[in-house]
Amino acid sequence: MTDVRAPEADPFESAAEQDDREDRSRDRAAGTLGFADWLKWGWRQLTSMRIALVLLFLLALGSVPGSMLPQEGTDAAGVQQYYTSHPALAPLLNHLGLFNVFAAPWFAAIYLLLFTSLVGCVVPRTFRLAGSARALPPRAPRHLTRLPRSAEYTTVLAPALAAEVAATVLAGHGFRLRRPADASGGAWVSAEKGYLREVGNLLFHLALLGVLVSVALGGLFGYKADRLLVQGTTFADTQSALDEFYPGRLVTAADLGPFTITLNRFDASYITSGAQRGQPASFDAQISYAAYPGGPVRTDQLEVNRPLSVDGAKVYLIGHGYAPVFKVTDARGQVVYDQATPFISGSSGNFLSQGVVKVLDAQPEQLGFTGVFVPTAVEAGGVLESVFPAADNPVVSLIAYAGNLGLNSGVTQSVYQMDTAGMRRLTADPQLLLPGQSLKLPGGQGTITFTGYVPWVSLAITHDPGQLPALICGIAALGGLLLSFMVRRRRVFVRARASGPGTTVQIGGLARTDASGGFEAEFASLAAELRSAHHQAAASRQHEGE
Amino acid sequence: MVVLAATVLAGVTLAVVLLTGWATGGNSGVTDVAGSTSAVLYPAGHRPLAPDFTATTLTGSRLRFSSYRGQVVVLNFWGSWCGPCREEAPTLAVAARQYRSAGVAFLGVDVRDTTASALAFARDFGITYPSVSDSGSEITLDFTTVVPIAGTPTTLVIDRTGHITGAVFGTATYQELTDLLAKVTGKAAG
Repeated sequence: MTDVRAPEADPFESAAEQDDREDRSRDRAAGTLGFADWLKWGWRQLTSMRIALVLLFLLALGSVPGSMLPQEGTDAAGVQQYYTSHPALAPLLNHLGLFNVFAAPWFAAIYLLLFTSLVGCVVPRTFRLAGSARALPPRAPRHLTRLPRSAEYTTVLAPALAAEVAATVLAGHGFRLRRPADASGGAWVSAEKGYLREVGNLLFHLALLGVLVSVALGGLFGYKADRLLVQGTTFADTQSALDEFYPGRLVTAADLGPFTITLNRFDASYITSGAQRGQPASFDAQISYAAYPGGPVRTDQLEVNRPLSVDGAKVYLIGHGYAPVFKVTDARGQVVYDQATPFISGSSGNFLSQGVVKVLDAQPEQLGFTGVFVPTAVEAGGVLESVFPAADNPVVSLIAYAGNLGLNSGVTQSVYQMDTAGMRRLTADPQLLLPGQSLKLPGGQGTITFTGYVPWVSLAITHDPGQLPALICGIAALGGLLLSFMVRRRRVFVRARASGPGTTVQIGGLARTDASGGFEAEFASLAAELRSAHHQAAASRQHEGE
Repeated sequence: MVVLAATVLAGVTLAVVLLTGWATGGNSGVTDVAGSTSAVLYPAGHRPLAPDFTATTLTGSRLRFSSYRGQVVVLNFWGSWCGPCREEAPTLAVAARQYRSAGVAFLGVDVRDTTASALAFARDFGITYPSVSDSGSEITLDFTTVVPIAGTPTTLVIDRTGHITGAVFGTATYQELTDLLAKVTGKAAG
């Protein structure tokens, strides 16, 4: 904002508009200049809105393969399978980083360029806004009657004195003033109010930078992890004990909070009647935890949206399900499997859950079972359905296989899926078992017993050091935005000219926004006050003169 | 303007290096073993002390790790459910027999497993050395404070003073194991 332009032509040009204009004029000159100018040109391009949008689009585009192809971080087994099924294509895709998109250098390049673009745009703008918030109002225009609001009257005071009186009145209303440096330009006062608008704007931009830094902080030093925990079991917050682990860039396994959590008991209750029947009424996970190995063991209660805070991390209860307990003896009569096996419920509702039992060390060959757990089973037309989410009438339905589960060659497999390619089916139809019932496998291959069931919970563990700063910055950004919307920058100019025996006082005013209803009244009251101040001053002068 | 641009660019360059890991990869202080990328030999003076633990073996007796002081120990983190562990199990079974006369003790840490499955695994692969149960991963957690254990299998070679001399992260090959043991015991396989 400069003073050389006539305020009539430049009422309240924003820093941003001015910036764009300068950029355009500099862009035209770039073609003929040297290396440094090319750098400047490139920098201006990078920080332009257009490039920021292009980068944002590229970022979205770059994420697409991350959701279409299996990713190493989340689905290592899927990547292995992709290698097997596409032996020619997979190495090429791997070379392009498409199996680990979010860690690929090209992906990092896009988001870092975007970050640079945003920072490069916001930082200079912040400086300009800071300058604008400190700037003095422009000189008073020559013809104040051309301004949107104006008033004119005469007084007997000398012009310099009239300006002095006006300055006192305006200063009393909290206006920032500007007076002529010398008497050659005539007697005038420029006054401006509403700098909080710029302060709000500044706050918004700084807070925006703060949000960017907070997000980066979270991305570098935070982590997310998931763990499914069966009732009665314990896990430690270490990488090998987590089902999924998404570390920040600067997070290593050693940075995880060394806590342990035991699920003592999980209870879910459901609405039993009415239209809401089957809807969850409450979930309650009783846990005990130690913040570090050998530390004091505390108990707590996890509920949905009531996480546990431990060692800088938050542990959320995000899901639950049933883990039927199976005991398997092999052909030699040895117990080769005896554990709760988490089954996962699909979208069908009422916790009809699917899972697999892999008996890897059965003799003479491996055994596998694909199963369905039905918490409240009702048979309708030969199809087993679950009519209620609680385990009121639990049934499992199993299909038995024998052969090679394909795990001995060192391949990693999902515990919820079974590769039946090397297996032969032992039972033609699914076999139904109630708790306590056993299924004798044909050919003396062994026995599987459905001994009961226990609940499991899935826990999400998050550590995001940027969360609180991001929240604070977000609130500050909102506050700044509101401030800049609600506060109006407005200017009042007073010019006093000698005319005949007295002085003509012209008052002009303008406000930044068009919705200047409030300003109209403010200006009228200010003009009246100025007028009466001039009258009073004139009267007291006359009085002194007498 | 130029100073600002330079500052931001410098910051971003640093961030690129940090974020994409271009600056890492220099395995300073660690020697690779047998051309392997997953086996490491820690140089003397940089060998972390293995944490002590007391735990229950798969057969139900109590075992205190510090009672192994004075012996070279191969400590293997495994689980019967873990494919790569099943792949390396025959190697470990053979090596345990071969090194018994050299005074090398093998000990398993059975992670996220159940006793029934773990015992079946040991029977299946002919593993005769003991394993302690670590179903809650607490022993793993303790060891993670001194070596970066990311999962199973992980194999640590611990010298007579209880210091971790070498490690294999992932499936251990016979070559890697014997290389590490030769460096600790000063002997080749018996």
